[in-house]
Amino acid sequence: MGIQMFRLDQSRRSPVGVVQFALFVVTAAAPFSVAHAAGTLAGTDITNTATATFSGPDGNPQSVDSNAVTLRVGELLDVSVASTDTGDVGVTPGATNRVLKFAVTNGGNGPEAFVLTADGNAGGDDFNPTVTSIILDTNGNGAYDAGIDTVYSAGSNDPLLQPDTSLAVFILSSIPAGATDTQRGQVGLLAAATTGTGTPGTSFAGQGEGGGDAVVGATGAESNDDGVYRVNRASVALGKTASVAGPFGGTSTVPGAIVTYTLTATVSGTGTVNNVAVADPIPAGTTYRPGSLTLEGSTLSDAADGDAGRFTGSGIAVTLGSVGAGTSRTVTFQVEID
Amino acid sequence: MKILLALFALLMPAAVQAAGSVSLVSEVFVERTETSADGRSVTTRAEPDMVVPGDSLVFVLSYRNDGAEPATDLVLTNPVPDSVSFSGTDDASAAVSVDGGKSWGALGSLTVAGVDGASRPAEAADVTHIRWSLSQPVPQGGAGQLSFRGLVK
Repeated sequence: MGIQMFRLDQSRRSPVGVVQFALFVVTAAAPFSVAHAAGTLAGTDITNTATATFSGPDGNPQSVDSNAVTLRVGELLDVSVASTDTGDVGVTPGATNRVLKFAVTNGGNGPEAFVLTADGNAGGDDFNPTVTSIILDTNGNGAYDAGIDTVYSAGSNDPLLQPDTSLAVFILSSIPAGATDTQRGQVGLLAAATTGTGTPGTSFAGQGEGGGDAVVGATGAESNDDGVYRVNRASVALGKTASVAGPFGGTSTVPGAIVTYTLTATVSGTGTVNNVAVADPIPAGTTYRPGSLTLEGSTLSDAADGDAGRFTGSGIAVTLGSVGAGTSRTVTFQVEID
Repeated sequence: MKILLALFALLMPAAVQAAGSVSLVSEVFVERTETSADGRSVTTRAEPDMVVPGDSLVFVLSYRNDGAEPATDLVLTNPVPDSVSFSGTDDASAAVSVDGGKSWGALGSLTVAGVDGASRPAEAADVTHIRWSLSQPVPQGGAGQLSFRGLVK
């Protein structure tokens, strides 16, 4: 800050006595605003100069400047890592290159590079994902782009972040084939300032931006957060029941009796099973009753047409498509005993 | 440089001599509070050449009348440095400015334009300058200290 001088404004002078010289009485820290969340940039000089004006013996105003005190703002080392997935990331057993998303933010006041480490072997979960790579969001779009975003290699491309800026980082993992539905596996991402880490206040002389010291901030200059994979495995169970209506009442399986088969496909677990189809041959010694095929109580035509089912000549076939876990589909058809 | 100073001294001997009759020294200390092993917080004060954002600074002005005559109407003005947020003074007689030194008063009497254009009461962080006006002449050899506090933004 440049030296500024002010003329004495007589009308504003205090009429009271000599000012008190109380020093170093603690005052509460007032709320203050900063333009930068991370504060004044490392390497900035703070210079203080005061000016005294007074009247000498001849009554002429005089002015004198104090010495200038210059303080250099050192580099504060702070970082935060946060998982940016909205919840657990759904995976299937044996899946590869499953993506967890993180944001690494330089909370310090100088440019700093960070070493990244991923750990899939933490406790407190059900399985250990196998981390295959850490990816830097090189194109800055916040999404993993295979072959475009850069594979991270510790010590060779540690990301350099400007103060108050964030970088998206992706962890790719393989899911063990033996993982079962609803099991969870954590992977932690650790970011550590390359200048150094430690308890807050730890100082690294001369290693700050602009030649000043680097000082570990409140985060310890390292940060860790976990992302979670969750196995979504759905399975289909097919049940079949038969009921017989005899030609003269009763349930005897005599010629002319009508047998109604009920096929129930039930999906359990988590997620959705795609391309579910039910096929059932007509039993020997029976004849399919035309027009008897239903899905969820609605009749399906026997022809191979727009609806989901048909009679193939030797059996029935119904396409159920995608069926969500916790739901079921019921197909019925009838045969007459020859 | 010495030649240049000597030249100035020849050209303006009266001004140099008069200006030299009051000396003004600025010192800046940083206070850091650490919690000791037994849980008590210990505040240390040092005169650093390096600070970090959030550091608490104490600015101390020391004046002395080195002249042969009393200095009257002594006014000490300290612009709050860039990157420092004023956080107060212990001295109720100090006047502050929140507009770069154009107008002065007690902090509670000043207003600044808020973000919406309406004026709001000034806060400590708005202070741009602090000033002390001594109503009594400083006698020969008289000296004193004044201080204020700030935070590194």
